[in-house]
Parts: sequence; C-alpha cells; structure tokens
Amino acid sequence: MHTFAYARPATLAEAVALLAEHGAAARVLAGGTDLIIRLRDGTLVPDVVIDLKRIASLRPGVREEAGLVVIGATTVMTDVAADPLVRRHFPALADAAAVVGSVQIRNRATLGGNICNASPAADTAPPLLVYDATVVAEGPGGTRRIAVDDFFVRSGVTTLAGDEIVTAIELPLPALRMGAAHERRTRRRGHDLASVTLCCGVREDGVTRLSYGSVGPRPVLRVDETGILADPAAPAEARTNILEQLLADASPSPRSMRASPAYRLAMLRVLGRRALATALERLEARA
Amino acid sequence: MSTDRVGASPNRVGGVGRVTGAQRYAADIKLADALQVKLVCLPVARGRIVSIDSSAALAVPGVRFVMTAADLPQPVPRFGPQFTDRPVMAVGETKYHGEPVAAVAAETKDAAEEGARLVRVDYEALRPIVTLADALAPGADLVQDASIRPRDPLAGTNVLREHRFGWGDVDATPADLVVENSYTFPIVTHFAIEPHVFMAAPDGDGIAVWSSIQHPYWLQRILAGVLDLPLSRVRVFAPDPGGGFGGKQHAKYEPLVAFLALLTGRPCRLVLSLEQTFQAVRRTCTEVHVRTGLMSDGTLAFVDVKADYNIGAYADIADRVVGKGSYPAAGPYRVPAVRIVSRSVLSHTTPATAMRGFGNPQVNWAVESNLDEGARALGIDRRDIRLRNVARTGDTLNPVDTRCDGEWDQAVRRAAEMIGWDTPAPPGHGRGIALGFKSGPTTGLSQSTVRLLSDGSALVYAGTSDMGQGARTVWAQIVATELGVPLERITTVSGDTAVVPYDQQTSASRSTVLMGNAVLRACQDVQAKVRAMAARLHGVPEEQITVERGIVRLPDREVAIVDVVKPGLGRMAGEIVGNGMARKDAEPDHPLQGSAAFFEFNCTAVEATVDEETGDITLHKYATVSDVGKAINPLQVRMQDEGAAIQGLGHTLMEHYIYDDEGRIRNLGAIDYRIPTSMDLPLELHSDVIENADGPGPYGAKGMSEGALISAAAAVAGAVRDATGIVIRDLPLSPERVWRALQERSAR
Repeated sequence: MHTFAYARPATLAEAVALLAEHGAAARVLAGGTDLIIRLRDGTLVPDVVIDLKRIASLRPGVREEAGLVVIGATTVMTDVAADPLVRRHFPALADAAAVVGSVQIRNRATLGGNICNASPAADTAPPLLVYDATVVAEGPGGTRRIAVDDFFVRSGVTTLAGDEIVTAIELPLPALRMGAAHERRTRRRGHDLASVTLCCGVREDGVTRLSYGSVGPRPVLRVDETGILADPAAPAEARTNILEQLLADASPSPRSMRASPAYRLAMLRVLGRRALATALERLEARA
Repeated sequence: MSTDRVGASPNRVGGVGRVTGAQRYAADIKLADALQVKLVCLPVARGRIVSIDSSAALAVPGVRFVMTAADLPQPVPRFGPQFTDRPVMAVGETKYHGEPVAAVAAETKDAAEEGARLVRVDYEALRPIVTLADALAPGADLVQDASIRPRDPLAGTNVLREHRFGWGDVDATPADLVVENSYTFPIVTHFAIEPHVFMAAPDGDGIAVWSSIQHPYWLQRILAGVLDLPLSRVRVFAPDPGGGFGGKQHAKYEPLVAFLALLTGRPCRLVLSLEQTFQAVRRTCTEVHVRTGLMSDGTLAFVDVKADYNIGAYADIADRVVGKGSYPAAGPYRVPAVRIVSRSVLSHTTPATAMRGFGNPQVNWAVESNLDEGARALGIDRRDIRLRNVARTGDTLNPVDTRCDGEWDQAVRRAAEMIGWDTPAPPGHGRGIALGFKSGPTTGLSQSTVRLLSDGSALVYAGTSDMGQGARTVWAQIVATELGVPLERITTVSGDTAVVPYDQQTSASRSTVLMGNAVLRACQDVQAKVRAMAARLHGVPEEQITVERGIVRLPDREVAIVDVVKPGLGRMAGEIVGNGMARKDAEPDHPLQGSAAFFEFNCTAVEATVDEETGDITLHKYATVSDVGKAINPLQVRMQDEGAAIQGLGHTLMEHYIYDDEGRIRNLGAIDYRIPTSMDLPLELHSDVIENADGPGPYGAKGMSEGALISAAAAVAGAVRDATGIVIRDLPLSPERVWRALQERSAR
C-alpha cells in the first residue's frame, strides 16, 4: 500500500482546516469500506487520510429535533437499519441500509460515507431522495444545507466543496402519511452490489415519489403529482404510462458487466411496479 | 471407543484449530529474514517483451533483487506435470494476463510492491487468442511455439491433443430418435479461501520449499528437475491447505521462488492475492456437441460426443483433464455404441488445471441435458429413462474398463424419492434429475507408516494433504479401529517430504481408497508384529493367535493390543513400526493408461421455481445421493457431498470469467465474480449415501466428493425447463440469461 500520513483530528474545525490545507491530496475516512479498498488497489494515493471517528461532535446516532430526524454522518448502516425513529418514519431507508454489503460491512460503513462515495448504485440514495433528505455540510465558511437531489452529480462526484465535511443527514418528519418500499436487483441473493436499486413512496395526498439508481450516472428522483399512480383504481394503461414517464431518465451503461442495459431497464420496470404495490399496501396499513 | 471407529462420526481431527484460527496455514509461517516477493506482469495477455529496466526498482529502499528470465539458467527451465511447457517466468512473450516477466524481492511487502511498480517493461502488445473460435480459426497465431512441441504432428495448430474414445459403430447403429445439440460451460475458478503461498529457502546444499500444495511429492520431483538437485536435497513442507479443489495440485510459482531464494541466498515469500489467484488457476471451459440416439422405449442406442476444451496458455494437467473428463461421456449407462472426440485447445488465457470433477462436469452437463430432451420427445419420465439405462452391478460400461461397481439404481431411486418425484409438483414448480459419473483414479501409489508407541499411543504418517476433506480423521479412525487406540491418543503426521513416506497425489477422490488401504496395511503390519510379540510373551504358537480390531485373541482369552505391547516392549520401551502400501499400476494399452479403481456415482434431484419477471431461480428442494461403498465417517461424507453440490451451484447459477479484447479477466476478484453464499442455497438441501461395502478401499469404501458437483447443472436446468418450458444450453443460468430465454419464449 502507498504510504500516506494519517490525521485524527479531535474537532470538526481541525478536520476542516486539514482538508483546506491538503485539498485534493487528502481523503476523509469514516467507515473506510470504500476508501480502504481503493487505497489497497492503488486507485487512490492520497498524501493524508483524515479520520473522522474521534471528532466528538460527529458522534454517531439518530435524534429527533424540531420536526426533523437527524442522522449523524458517521452512523453505521447496522444502526440506521435498527434505529426505532428511522424504522417508524422512514422504513424504506431502514430496508435499504439493511442490504448494503454484508453484516461486517454494515457494521463499518456509514450513511455519510455511502452518499459521499456517490456510487450510482448506493442503496441508501433512493430512499433519501424519496424522503426529501438534506445533507448538512461543515466547511470553512460554516454550515451549509444541500438538498440531497442537489448533492449527487455522478459516480464519485458530489456538490460538496473540497474543504467541506458532511456532518449529518436530516429527514423532515412527514406531515402527510406515506407508504414507501425499497427494492433492488442483484446477481445473487447473498450480498452484492445492486444492478438496479429503487425506492417508491406514495403519500396520502396522491403524490408518488420514485427514485432509482444504478441505471445512470447518478440516482434519479421523479415525482408524480397527478395522483394516478397512487390510485389503484386508475386505468392500468394510464398508470403504466405515468410509470414509464417516471422511469424515462434511466440510461444504464452498456459497458457494465453486472447487467446489460436491456435487462436493467426491464428490471427497473419490474421493481418499480413491485415497489409501488408494496408502497400502496404500506400506505393503507398506516391509515 | 465405538465413537472413534470406522462408521462413526467423531469430531474432525484438527477441526477446532481450523475453525478457531489456531491452524497454521502456509501464509501463517514466518521465516526469519525472509524477503517478500512481488510479481511484475504486463497489462495485457500477450505481449512481446522488448526490454526490462530494473534500475528504478532497485533504487527503492529495501529492494534487494529484481529477477528476470535473464537471471535464470538458459534456456529458461520449463516444467509441467504432463508437458514440460511452462517456463519459470515468461520468455520473450507473455502468454496470459498475469504471467510474470520479473519478480521483485524486498525487505518489506510495500517495498516489493513499489519496486514492482517501477520495473519498466517495454513490450509490444499482440492480439491474444481468447476463445475456442479464435484458437481454431484457420491461420490462427500459435499460442505455443512449435519448438517446444518437438515430434508433435499437431504442433502447427493450437490443438495440443486430440483424444478419441469409444466402442461399437455409432454410424451403423439405428435409433428411433436422435437428439442433437450443443452446450457450453463457462470458465470458473476454484476460489479456495486460503491464498496460494509459495516460500523457499536455501537449505544446506539443497532447498526447502513451503507451499499450500495438494501434491507435495510431485512438486518435489518438479523442483528437483528444474533445479537439477537430487530428491533428497529438496524438502517440501506442505501445511494443510485451506481448500484446494484441484487448484493447488501442481507447481505454479514454486520454481520461481526457489530460484529467487538460491540467487539471493535468503528465504523468499510470495503470497498471491485473490485477483492473482484468478489469473493463476481456473477450470477448462468447454463447448460440447452431443448426439444421443434412443429407441422409442427409451433405451440408449448410441452417444456421440465432440468436446473442445479451452485449456489456456500452458498444459498444466489440463490435457489429462480433457482426456479423463471426456472419456466417461456416455455416462453410467449401458450404451451399445459410443464415440467421443475431445480436444485440448491452447489460448492466451490462464492455464487451466484440475478442478473438482476433473473435466466431467462440462460434458455431463451436455450429455445429461440432452438425455432429458430425448425423454421429453419420447414422453418418458426423466427418472425412468435413467433407471432403464443405468448399469447394474457387474454390467459392462466401456468394454475395456472396470465394470459397474455399485447398486447405482438405489441412488437414483433414493434421490427422486427425497424430493417426492412421484407426487404431483405444486403449481409453478419444476423438477429435474441428473446422474453424476466419473472414472476414479487410474493409477496410484500411497505409502504409510504407523508407529505404535510404548504407552499405547500411535503416530500415523500419511502424505495426503488434508485440505478440508477430513483425511486426517479417516486415518485416525482406521488406526483406532485396527489397533484399539483412542482417537485422542493418535497423532497424524503429514506435510513434510523429508519425514513422511511417499504419496503420489491428493486428487481424484483417491485418498480414502489408496492411502486408506496403505494405512490399513500399515496397521496390519503392526498387528502381525503384535501377534509375534504375544506369542513370545505368552508362550503360545503364533498360529493360535489372531489380532484384529484392537484385540489379541489368545487360545484362552482376549486382551487388548496395548496390554501385549506394554509388557512386550518392556523397560527399554521402543515401539512397533508398521508399513503399508497401496499401488495401482498403469496399464499401457488402456485408453487412459489405467482402468478406473472405482467409479464415482451420484444422483441429484431438484425442485425449483422461476420468477417469470426477473429470471430468478429458487431451488425449493435439492437432494444429492452418492454411492460411497462405505462411509468411514458419515458426517464428513455428507459434508463433502453437500459442499460439492453448493460448489456446483456456482457454475450452474452465477460463476463465469468475463474477458476483454486484450485477454484480461474483467471480473477479476470477488466483487464481480460471485460465488454462492449461504443465502443462495436451496431452501431444503438433503444428502444421503448408498452403502453396500462394494468399493476397493478399507471396509468397502469408494472415493467420493466430486460426483455431487458433476450432476448439479443438468439437474437444475432440467427443473427450470420443467417449470417454464425454456431450454438453456449455456451456463451459468444467471437471472439475466433465464430472463432472456423467457422473453424469447413469450415472443414465439
């Protein structure tokens, strides 16, 4: 492995200062489940690795405050999946966190790391988009809040500035009832990267939010406000048309060896229908 | 005591160490003062080496030596178990992606890696031959220079060998129905969890080598040849491997590391990553064309098979895989006429080697699937067509080979019964059944020594590599049974060619039979000496004494062996040493140079559903039943079969190499080469054994553990066909491939 300096700042300010000093030559370490692999295979050769795990103000955990559920960026997937607040209000996020990697990976991988890595296949991204999450970032200029839909650019690239650190993800407590479901497609039943990952949320006012990833450079959010998707009594053709419109932004890469574009697009539709059906059932159950 | 003996399932010898991490695998052995080795490879499969500049690498602190082919004896020594074709490192041109062109030895792994990165190789990328079609195209470049294939009429082609087997006259044999199809089998890899490890150190006037190898004595001979040393100066340490599956049978980078050790005068250590292991070992991939001739009542008239195996850049043992794997292509059936033509074909890909099933799964997948199609066309139940044709004990299979040596129909009936074959399948469920068949070892030589010590404890020396199959436990159970020594007072010794007597190899499911007989005979040698001792002690003629199963029977009473040995050895202590050997000689006129010591027979029966929207296969019931003669340790036997079944589900459902145009493996490593996990197992997995004590091994045992893998693919594909109507003739049956077939079915 390439040699690098290792910094373990005690405060967020120190970490931000280190990032500002080293710029692109620095990499941030939270769980390390993406970073360590790339350090070992030599695709990343940073001068310094900044470990966030000893920063007191970044202590992992989930809390409720002022109409929000706030998930610390260093909260690991296992804890996101098991958290009672997440499970009560954002069950599709809990479901997605529960299928990231393997048990060992979920015990290390953080929610902040998952979105900063910005893999198009990140399983937590579609539910965060459906639940309208906000990314909280700390930089030299202070705190910045970025809507998660404005956060993702393409694989490995976000709108986070080079000297900013994600500190938390905020999810607004739903004012209206919502039923939501996460679905994914993998090559085997055991842990695997998603070749399609998708979340569908249906609100009691008839709005359907559909988000999907691994079928293009970044996860996509599309919203149906016609109420047609949310209405099981609507004509099947009309519902299919709306679903097709929502899924039209998929553009899977022909270079991937995990699945062909044709299969991904077909599975996107299968998963879309299944997630919609489950979301409607869950909405009903919440009534 | 009875829980120690043959037929019981005592805890695995060494099992606790294996699961707690206490076992020392090859990579756990740290040699003082060792240099760490990193291989330098080109980023292409086939590259003509123009020049190698090591100066920048040698300037890295800690780098001690950069070895290239120029540092080796000239011409560069070549080696191989079957052909002497593989150079210690690439000469002139690399033949596969991952073949080393240089090796860096440094004080630390980081320094070696940094050095390897800085070795500058000028090369010209050449178009690689990756597929069978590339290799067999007229005018194709030759993978192996004709100069290393002297007196070989095929040297001007990429066909290394063509094998022809058979009997009867296929063309003159009438059939009511001929089913003709082509099937493919992908490239898969062994995926042993333990990495491949190669270490060497100068040892007096010779060399000591540590390797996670299945055949330490064969490696010893290869090294002695390459280094021009007597066998007595080559010491191979072979710690129990953590999985081998055939991938660790033969020498790979041991000669390279041995030269490094001799040139640096230091111990040298190379540990392959999983990615490098993918580049080092794999199974042959195969295209098989089958014609199955059937009479209208389902009786087999003929089987006509053409099989091309892509074996990669060097032969390793792969041509033997091709011959021995295609030879039983007609299956465990009575067939009047059989024609088999198989070819081993070279390409610029990882040299293929032995892998569990040894060439048989590839052909079995085709022939068993084709039989299913025949049964369907004739309206005959797929189990019944197999029962109609399967050989019974004593029946002739191949006229020049061993006759049917088992009650195979019992296994067929049992597996079918275990999934409820005669009851209607639930809606949407489909069933499949297939027979696995393999010729056992054709030659063999195993030697063992058993030392019964003065306190009644025992040492058993057996050169078999225990790589997880439980060989040590089997030896200990035989000694416990024959000498009456409790298991916890028996120590098994293996893994050191300077200490343990010769064993030809750990492969072909041979060890329980061949080494088992050697251990049994060593015990009988000890028993004979105990008998003489008892005669002396008790003043009774030897003829009036028998010794068996731990007991000395005197004319007037019975005593335990230990109660003869303790007084017999007396105050000076000492020990009783027994030697045993099991040998199966070659038969020069036989098509495989030897008939089968036994056959492996398995029946797999499956019940499955298919998600019509996604192509996902769910295996609801999976039954695997093997004819094992006698299960010396029933639990281990079933674990072997269940493991083989699961490994077979790998190539059946998901495993395959994907190559790019440069001949590089795109899905190198665990992320994009997926093997089954516990979550991918059948919802119900059942195993059973048929025991009629009709094998040539101790107590009537036969070899086993490959058969259950062989029949997996055809059984699963048969169930998918039954559930959906789709026929897929290419493995793996990935969700996407099944989905595509379902789409095509809907479009029709």
